[in-house]
Amino acid sequence: MYGATDPDRQDLFQEIVIQLWRSYPSFRGEARFSTWLYRIALNTAISDLRKQRRHGPAPDPEQLSIPLQDLQYASDKAEQLQQLYAAIDRLTEVEKALTMLYLEDKSYQEMEEILGISQNNLRVKMNRIKEKLRKMTKETAYGVR
Amino acid sequence: MELDNLKTIWKEQRTPVQAADTEALSLLLRTRSRGPIARMRRNLRVEAFLMVITYTPTIIAYLTLFDGRLSKISLFLFAVLCFYAVYYYRKDRLLVRMQCVTCEVRSNLAGQVEALRKYIRFYVWSGTLVILIALVVAWATFRDAIQAKGFPLHWWFQPVALLTLLLPFSVGLFYLNKWYVNKLYGRHTERLRAMLRELEEGR
Repeated sequence: MYGATDPDRQDLFQEIVIQLWRSYPSFRGEARFSTWLYRIALNTAISDLRKQRRHGPAPDPEQLSIPLQDLQYASDKAEQLQQLYAAIDRLTEVEKALTMLYLEDKSYQEMEEILGISQNNLRVKMNRIKEKLRKMTKETAYGVR
Repeated sequence: MELDNLKTIWKEQRTPVQAADTEALSLLLRTRSRGPIARMRRNLRVEAFLMVITYTPTIIAYLTLFDGRLSKISLFLFAVLCFYAVYYYRKDRLLVRMQCVTCEVRSNLAGQVEALRKYIRFYVWSGTLVILIALVVAWATFRDAIQAKGFPLHWWFQPVALLTLLLPFSVGLFYLNKWYVNKLYGRHTERLRAMLRELEEGR
């Protein structure tokens, strides 16, 4: 989701690992480990924006985190999935963060602890994102603008 | 396809957690951080080091050469070096405060925006001031030189000349610095602000 190209993503992964390693001594167990981990990952991804290209090419299906060829889906399903990935790639960084946490099945309470925004606001934002993605995939599928 | 469908696929495709390849991990951790703040701090250290290794011999040279007649210049250079020591220290502290990776994303962003605002303000003002101080010192040296040659200077000449020279120059320099700093950090600051606005929207 973050990083326009493969080297960008590798750099980001490396940076996240370094930050996790450096921050680990300060982990006191006040928050869940996963909350702490996602905070570091997202804060690093957001700080890293400076060196990333804003709009990379549309994601290559073979580079997606779930390679399409591995999925036993009919080709139209695969195409829909690709459209959805392309739409996610066009979201803002904040929307991407929310989408990632949603896909990772995080509760709104944990999302609140990671992002620092209220659960009500998160629900509103999440509904907007879903609607936006629906609209974007429809636009791509039917060529509607 | 809906996001919820993707969520189901995402769950189904989740790979089981594997033991970390310790060798690959230690190799990764041995590399230097390439994050923007780490790079800025490294650049700052290089800049400070270059400053020390160029200024120190120059200060010593002006102190010892020409029978110490140019020792005033070495004093001035020493003052500049002290100024830059404070400057680099302050910049470094601001950079350290700029990132709190373990904080909530919103508070980290808010902190970054605030620290970057202070960093930019400090950059602009210190950059303007140091050149102005250098100009005043250069003027004082020039005045001493012409007075030593017996050239008469009226009492009103110095303030008028300094004001005429410094006022437009400082204004120009201030805006030039502002433009340059904005060119360096403007887009990044704007992007951080936009993200913070988006996060805080409807709070």
